[in-house]
Amino acid sequence: MALFRLIGTGGVIAYRALFNWTTPSMFIGSLLVGPIFQLLFFAYLGRQLGVADDRFYIVGNAVLAASLSCVFGGTMAVANERRFGTLGHVLLSPRSRTAVFLGRVLPYAGNGLLIAASTLTVGALLLGLRVPVRALPGLLLALAVAALACGFFGLTLGALGLRFRDVWVVSNVSVALLLLLTGVNVPAAGLPGWMRAVGEALPITHAARGARQLAAGEGLAAAAPALAAEAAVGLGYALLAAALLKIFEAESRRRASLDAL
Amino acid sequence: MIAVGLLLHTKQLTRSPFEIATALIVPVVQATLAVYLFRAGGEPGRLLEAAVGAGLMGVWSSVLFGSGGAIQNQRWQGTLEMLMLAPRPPALMILPITLATAVTGTYAMLATLLWGRLLYGVPLNFAHPLLFLVAVPGCVLGLGMFGLLLASTFVLLRNANALANTLEYPIWLVSGMLVPLTVLPGWTGPIAAVLPTTWGARAVQEAASGGPVWPSLGLCLAISLGCLVAGALMMTHVERRARAAATLALA
Repeated sequence: MALFRLIGTGGVIAYRALFNWTTPSMFIGSLLVGPIFQLLFFAYLGRQLGVADDRFYIVGNAVLAASLSCVFGGTMAVANERRFGTLGHVLLSPRSRTAVFLGRVLPYAGNGLLIAASTLTVGALLLGLRVPVRALPGLLLALAVAALACGFFGLTLGALGLRFRDVWVVSNVSVALLLLLTGVNVPAAGLPGWMRAVGEALPITHAARGARQLAAGEGLAAAAPALAAEAAVGLGYALLAAALLKIFEAESRRRASLDAL
Repeated sequence: MIAVGLLLHTKQLTRSPFEIATALIVPVVQATLAVYLFRAGGEPGRLLEAAVGAGLMGVWSSVLFGSGGAIQNQRWQGTLEMLMLAPRPPALMILPITLATAVTGTYAMLATLLWGRLLYGVPLNFAHPLLFLVAVPGCVLGLGMFGLLLASTFVLLRNANALANTLEYPIWLVSGMLVPLTVLPGWTGPIAAVLPTTWGARAVQEAASGGPVWPSLGLCLAISLGCLVAGALMMTHVERRARAAATLALA
């Protein structure tokens, strides 16, 4: 029970503290409106080039929208603690730091789910995509799994913040790479083999595939393998993040470089 | 003074690993995406257009984030008061910074063209090579002047960087940097027509692929000049307000 409280309540309190700079209008502008323009950009580009239909871009970019808050949120979960001067206090805590940091992912994943759902809704309304009503629960599940996997991916990048100074470069480049490698905007068949292979190990790729199957009315059974693969990718990143946090924390204590900016 | 300021701020930006990495790597990823999209769409003949478009996107990103945060960055560095104390109009102190962000953005153009040529064999057969060398700096100058309006507007907003995230894709889209304006809904036309980014992008694309470059470049610079005047007036107003309220150093 105490562990769940640490993960749940601790995560929410940390989220409120680290996102103290935002306002509702800022949140709506940058996290809800921004991804809609990204979706429109690629949908119109795809239409003009005849690469794929609107469903491909609307569903793919809606799933990808979850990554924005999750990747940067995961990075902030560590980097902003250092910037605000509270990282030392967190690491001095006698509780499990793995639980502390893993708990931070949940609010960001919740944000990601909200952003992805709103992007999908607005994108479908603007571009006239009809999604079968029976596909909605499955789509929500796909978005939730993608958001969680992205959250752990973000935390993995955030863990690098314990070791490297310019972690924002890593998160900026990672967001751009997700755009390219996950097959959200270029059909996987159009990418070289090595890019497809890298994409398979990234969050979003499998969830986008599953969500497209669901939006096409193929049913949850057809999308289940893709969603299971996405969950496995998320679990892999959760383990990797936990390991990196442990290793880098130990190293930063040893080198006395914890608060070095 | 503008030239010296431009040199100083460009040097400063080129010392930032974050700026360099972002200006080089992200546009290259976008150029790769554009190349594969154009190939998947069966348009291999338009790969130069894709590379140039991705470069323009990078220039805009640099101006948007650099100029949008120009004043905030000076505030964080503790140099804003000194800039505002200088016996020159505040716009003249900030304009070199916004121009420098546009100049740094040309990394993106160079990077996407080189990347396209070396990795994907994109033929750099510019329709008007000399005009291309004129159109790119012209576009950069125009966007730098537009950046002053952004800087003076964004300073009124807390955490303008977050707002800048919202403006990246809309300008890419409406300015026709990669997506032709003809495929967009008709109501976007008037918006595109008043943006210097639209005409700057058109001038550079016309120099690369063919078309009358000068009218587009002239319109880009004319609109940008208007933005410069509006930005200068706004900057003076903001500076006076900040002095009167003693809020210059406050975020």
